[in-house]
Amino acid sequence: MNSPFPKSTSVPGQGHLVAKLLPEGISGLETFTYQYPLKLISPSRPSEDESVLVFLLSYGGGLVAGDKVNLKVDVRAKAKLTIVTQGHTKVFTSTSPDIVTRQDMHVHIASEGALCLLPDPVQPFAGSVYEQTQIFRLEEDASICLLDWVTRGRTARGENWSFVRWVGRNEIWVIPAAQEDGKTDSRERLLVRDAVILDSNRSHPELAKLRDSMHGVGIVGTLLLRGPLMKSLGDFFLAEFAALPRLGARDFRSDAAKQAAALAQATPREKWRAERLVMENNSKLLWSAANVRGCVVVKFGAPEVEDGRLWIGSMLQEEGSISHHFGDHALMCVR
Amino acid sequence: MTINLFQDPISSYRESDTDDDLDNEIAELERKLAAAKAKRCKHPRSRLEGDDSSSSSSPEQPLLAPNSALPLGSFAFSSGLESYLAHGHKSNPYHPHTSFAAFLPLSISSYASTTLPFVLSAHRDPSLSNLVELDDAQDASIICTVGRRASVAQGRALLGIWERSFSQSLPPLGSSVITAAQRGDLKAFGLLVKRGSSKEIPDASAHLAPLFGAICSVVGLSLQQTAYIFLFGHVKALVSAAVRAGMFGPYQAQKILAGETVQELITEMIKREWGTKVERAGQNVPVMDLWFGRHEVLYSRIFNS
Repeated sequence: MNSPFPKSTSVPGQGHLVAKLLPEGISGLETFTYQYPLKLISPSRPSEDESVLVFLLSYGGGLVAGDKVNLKVDVRAKAKLTIVTQGHTKVFTSTSPDIVTRQDMHVHIASEGALCLLPDPVQPFAGSVYEQTQIFRLEEDASICLLDWVTRGRTARGENWSFVRWVGRNEIWVIPAAQEDGKTDSRERLLVRDAVILDSNRSHPELAKLRDSMHGVGIVGTLLLRGPLMKSLGDFFLAEFAALPRLGARDFRSDAAKQAAALAQATPREKWRAERLVMENNSKLLWSAANVRGCVVVKFGAPEVEDGRLWIGSMLQEEGSISHHFGDHALMCVR
Repeated sequence: MTINLFQDPISSYRESDTDDDLDNEIAELERKLAAAKAKRCKHPRSRLEGDDSSSSSSPEQPLLAPNSALPLGSFAFSSGLESYLAHGHKSNPYHPHTSFAAFLPLSISSYASTTLPFVLSAHRDPSLSNLVELDDAQDASIICTVGRRASVAQGRALLGIWERSFSQSLPPLGSSVITAAQRGDLKAFGLLVKRGSSKEIPDASAHLAPLFGAICSVVGLSLQQTAYIFLFGHVKALVSAAVRAGMFGPYQAQKILAGETVQELITEMIKREWGTKVERAGQNVPVMDLWFGRHEVLYSRIFNS
């Protein structure tokens, strides 16, 4: 079943993953197919971990113009699936604005199933045209952790939001559990639709250029959380957001007094928070968190890509739910 | 359909002796006027409400909707401006200066790309089922607490104005272009909003954009007028927020509102979003989400958003 040489489907860029709970009580893969340019790899020893791990890759380490990847994922009841990448998903330059590179993912998660999708950020090169749609349909008790982030491009080559277009759309739907007779008792409902449209085409000269409209931010990301397994993590983000120091508040203490106060703080959590706040401040990282219809939506942006990665990694590790439910391998892209 | 009547006026009415026909003729002339105005709006160079010299004889609705005295509570919201000002700082090399001239186009563009498709869709089909669907989709797509609060507060205020004022001062059924069904739909929507408030995810929240589109459609504003008034209302609220935030004075505020830049920007944004489906609406200024969301962590606030 977990053969290192899975069979391939015949449609280019198509892939299908089915994760299910094996009789031993661990998660495994039931179906595992893909076709160029999409490539999937799953390590052969899944039994030690809390979730089954799949690497989402592409041949040559990126997507060339016109590539269309369409991955279908089913997480069966009580199964846990982790999807990661190896390095930034590069989107290569398009020869014409009409040639769109696409990545679509359609995910269905059955009751008590869970998916953790913490990939590396997408790195669109200058002149690239990219659209990504990720639709997650969750049964009532299913859980999802999803990170979607994009960088300004190859800074070493002077790229700074120099692509033609980047569109990312994530939708979380709640769907009624599959009934025995195959009927559904109520309609599907959209919980969250998060869409970012970055377009270099300005419709009016008064509008800022794309790079200027980013206000120095080099990476923007969205973390979406939903479901019982993510409850604690979601609450953590909301609580940390509520605990942020008020912007514009004056601190009249001397640096020494501030340091003394920080050291006097008793709990490790408070120490961690104080360090994190220093980091946020130094790296000019901005973030916000909100509860949207039972999902927690975290938005963040930072001038440097690595600072964004450090921050989200620090948040996820400090809280610990991801490692606990999916295993340490789920965090490999955010460390 | 109401909208068709406005956009393609029928000139088949002839003089007649009965009172009913005279009434019809008056109504028809008013429609033609509205249609002519709508056409005027479609020309890119056109000025809309500003140079309306014939306002004394125009239908009152186009003037009521953008009226500053409309109690929407817009004055309580700065649409991220206050937070933007707080985040720009000399110590931040990436965002050292803040200026209204820089914020305004971004804000219009962002507001248009996230919400205008909802206004347009509700105007094109103001039926109850579409209104409920749009309201729900909008509720799912405003991904920050502050933005949701602002949208719902203004939407509910608009619904209140409709219920208490506009719907009662409309001409009686039969003599107006508004059908009983359209009135019924808005009434039913109001009931749904009141009923659903206790659930975790309410059936209807009354977000501003879909309601604005539906109500403007029902009172007979053209699609273009509605879109323009909607975005112009946003600019007015922003400018007034800037005045109260001390960025400039009231004369500068009127200068901005009357300026060609705002008119052109709004017209261009309407053009850009004219065919955008609501599923394709989205944020095109990602930092706007951050400023909006972080309004909550400001130490002192004069606005609710």
